[in-house]
Amino acid sequence: MTSLKSKDTGNVCDEQVFGTLFKANSKMIFNYIYYKFGNEEKAYDAVQEAFLKLWENCAKVPPEKAKSFVYTVANNLYLNVIKAEKVRLKYADKSLKTTHEDPEFLMEESEFKEKLDNALNALPENQRITFLLHRVDGKKYAEIAELEGVSVKAIEKRMHLALKSLRDKIEGI
Amino acid sequence: MQENYLAKWLNGDLTEAELLEFKNSDAYVSYKRIADATDGLKGTEFDDSRAYQALKNRRELQDRKVVTLHPFRKFFRVAAAAAVLIMGSYLYLSLSDQTISTSYAESKEITLPDLSVVVLNADSEISYSERKWDNHRKVDLEGEAFFKVAKGERFTVATDAGQIVVLGTQFNVEKRKRFFEVTCFEGRVSVSFNNKETQLSAGSSFTAIDGEIVEAAAPGTSVPSWMNDESSFKSVPLKYVLDEFERQHDIAVQTQNIDLKQLFTGTFSNTDPDVALKSISVPSQIKFKFEGDKVLFYGENTP
Repeated sequence: MTSLKSKDTGNVCDEQVFGTLFKANSKMIFNYIYYKFGNEEKAYDAVQEAFLKLWENCAKVPPEKAKSFVYTVANNLYLNVIKAEKVRLKYADKSLKTTHEDPEFLMEESEFKEKLDNALNALPENQRITFLLHRVDGKKYAEIAELEGVSVKAIEKRMHLALKSLRDKIEGI
Repeated sequence: MQENYLAKWLNGDLTEAELLEFKNSDAYVSYKRIADATDGLKGTEFDDSRAYQALKNRRELQDRKVVTLHPFRKFFRVAAAAAVLIMGSYLYLSLSDQTISTSYAESKEITLPDLSVVVLNADSEISYSERKWDNHRKVDLEGEAFFKVAKGERFTVATDAGQIVVLGTQFNVEKRKRFFEVTCFEGRVSVSFNNKETQLSAGSSFTAIDGEIVEAAAPGTSVPSWMNDESSFKSVPLKYVLDEFERQHDIAVQTQNIDLKQLFTGTFSNTDPDVALKSISVPSQIKFKFEGDKVLFYGENTP
């Protein structure tokens, strides 16, 4: 964090500072919006809009505020969008960790994956965002809490509920 | 088991005893499987350098869009910066009115609060009130200036000789001693002189010399000639031509035995005094010579 802080000093209008901020935050914004809506295009646009706004306001936003600025813009962008489409998250199929080649096992595995995807898509928005930021992006609870503007405890609650309902969905309880 | 134990477990925050208890529960196997399956799950691809490139393109596009709307943006910025510096120092001296002036052989560009631009010719002065600007666009002028007025409420240029009222246009005003000329380059300009109003359309001029309105030819250019470092005259008494030479080159002029009322039509350079002297003397059939740092114009028959 300290190294990031020192890199952030300077003016956001400076191309280098701006570039560093983009590198540091664009993927997270992309993921955040993607987990929220399950729509890649929206996530991509959110990144563009947020950073364009940051550029337009670069003189007014100090570097240490830039992160929360772009998150707020990205978040507000779809505030009024009616969520008509179903969330359809897709994950790049991770290479199988196991070496089992038993077809029955593989069949079972892919079935489980499908169930997991469906369960994830069915989660309430804030639980899904929290869960995936932690599992996929390895974000700490404290970081997610800061991002969402809630307490760490609230994030733990969401995590807990998310895992619980994932199991319920998958097991068909 | 403590509150939100599943979250604690995923974070490795359970105590040994709690972990053991959890591992022995029926649900553990399925939770473990979900955790394993989602651990290190790859998100969807996001190429940040490509996204950055796209962003830069959009930024540029946006910038270019703005540039096409305001072709003088950069120029404004420089002018504004210069004006801020000048105004800043003046503000320090007088809190009420802004006054900007030029000396001999100098011209200045001033950006007014509404982004209207004034270009001051040599030995000229404008003043206006920044405080009242928003509901009172009024500039007092002595000398000569070219105005590029931003669209908006009425914009007034007040001189001793008369007033010029416009809404948004480009025009030049020259008021020197008894010489008063307004040239409209774009839009419409209303000139009031001796309580009489004259409407000027683009490409026409209003000229009054010694209190008399004179028929003046159209300029035929898009900006006054002095902005291109030349001074142009059409049937203007020689006296005013020599005055202009004095202002542009900061060289004192003396005359001897020449008719200052004879009309001069022509152009002289504002950058090269030697060429300018020839441009004035040859068509007027007068001679000149330097006397120290002054120049003396004298008649053909004078020894």
